Amino acid sequence: MSAHSRPRGLVPHLPFAWPALMLGCFFLVPFAIMVVVSFFHRPESGVGTYEVGFEFTHYLRFFSPLFARHILITIEFAAVAALLSVLVGFPFTYFLSRFRRRPQVLALVFILCVLSLSEVIVAYSWSVLLSRSAGISNFFVWLGLLAKPASWTPGYGAVLFGLTYFNLPFAVLIMYPQCTRLDTEITEAARTLGASPLRTFFTVVVPMLWPTIMTAAIVLFVFTMGAFVTPQWLGRPQHWMFAILISDQALTRGNLPFASALSMFFMAITLALVALTVRLGRRKIER
Amino acid sequence: MIPRVARNVFCWLVVLSLSLPLFIVAGVSLNQKKLMFFPPRGLSMRWYEEIFTKSAWLDSLLASLGIAALAGVLALSIALPAAYFLWRYRVFYAKLLFSIGLMPFALPPVITALGMLMLWVPLGLAASVHGLALAHGIFLVTLPLVMISLGLESIDREIVEAAETMGASPSRTFSTVILPMVVPYMFAGYAFVFVISMNEFIISFFIGQFSLATLPVKIFSQLRSGYTPTIASVSVLFILLAVVVFSLVARFGDLPRLLGAWTPKER
Repeated sequence: MSAHSRPRGLVPHLPFAWPALMLGCFFLVPFAIMVVVSFFHRPESGVGTYEVGFEFTHYLRFFSPLFARHILITIEFAAVAALLSVLVGFPFTYFLSRFRRRPQVLALVFILCVLSLSEVIVAYSWSVLLSRSAGISNFFVWLGLLAKPASWTPGYGAVLFGLTYFNLPFAVLIMYPQCTRLDTEITEAARTLGASPLRTFFTVVVPMLWPTIMTAAIVLFVFTMGAFVTPQWLGRPQHWMFAILISDQALTRGNLPFASALSMFFMAITLALVALTVRLGRRKIER
Repeated sequence: MIPRVARNVFCWLVVLSLSLPLFIVAGVSLNQKKLMFFPPRGLSMRWYEEIFTKSAWLDSLLASLGIAALAGVLALSIALPAAYFLWRYRVFYAKLLFSIGLMPFALPPVITALGMLMLWVPLGLAASVHGLALAHGIFLVTLPLVMISLGLESIDREIVEAAETMGASPSRTFSTVILPMVVPYMFAGYAFVFVISMNEFIISFFIGQFSLATLPVKIFSQLRSGYTPTIASVSVLFILLAVVVFSLVARFGDLPRLLGAWTPKER
């Protein structure tokens, strides 16, 4: 068998057929429907219905201060949360990749457990942690730092903490492969030449893994853009992010054409950022 | 050496702050009365019993388990042939198929959820276990696809060539040489899909639409209508599920390798 032989005839194509059929029908077709419906007409009194048409009404609705505000807060939350999770996540991942095998596996199991937790559960745990009756403020009262227990949710800070917490395990797993590939000989060489560990970290490790850090930041930014439960529970209505608007239009108001148009816009931003990630990845290979 | 201490302190701080909310939820789940206190006032396991005795919670649990189990099978059935086809023949449409398989993870899930909703409703698939399993199987296909590809890449192509020189047909080579070497990666992929399907919220929320509530959707709607400590005990159940499944994956598989680690030499 040569590695690059071409499939000839029908039989070798059989393994291609089922995945192509499934992904085509149930992943690509829904997108096609969404593109088409975003131009459809929405009758005055129809919840969850649409009429065939071709209009830009839904796209023109973006130009309102309300949507502009929600887009800005979405981008703001996504950017700050991505930055925070990379700031904490990168040193952690780097150290983790230098652990011996056993503690490394244990740490990875722990990270995977936190990662797999439903956004519902994460948002709920944070609302408990920041609540007055069961929250961390009681601990601060006990320490004498606060006079009486306080409720810190809902609020801007609560959303930000929740999002960062939700992102952190993803940050670790995105950066982990490249961190393990960094040869220990390089850092050892820096140390032998007299650089302090801190200096080695900032002048050798960070620059070498800079493309990875950037990639992680962009992936997390895109990822956080889609946050749904966290801003809804830990924030006030002015903190509602874009996914909530889409769900509100689609499920609560039954305006599927407008929800589709919002999704198209949202996807355009996302794809632009993914393209940027790919370009960064390519530069990394060239180095 | 001081930096080493600083490094360990930092790592422990991260682990501690990641586990803090989980500890508090575990504590809250033990409260005797229907109130949210930490430390818990009076110890009781009644909120754990309630998951299995109250039909609303039990129905959600069973639906979630069924969806997760089926979604894993479907995701594997798509990922294995797709990954094999790309590995065997590096043709452009195999690469295209692979990239489509990666897409669900590169887009905000709410978009996938909305698109699926608009197809699932006319097909009569919404609010059914098989409909949701289909949605999760497609949405989570990325995980086994990437893992099985990692497994295939670790196969020495000379072994495959040897089998074919000895006269094995492609299907025989696949079932006796390739498949046994990829099986651990398939198990891992299944485990990941299972756990993440159990936890997935937004697609379940769109497609289930409250008439079929998976556990996360049930928690969500319950929190809207009023607090009950069962929310906390269900959360603990999820944490335990993840601990058990991922420990098993780590025990029987090479977890660092599954997650993309590549070490030239043993440390």
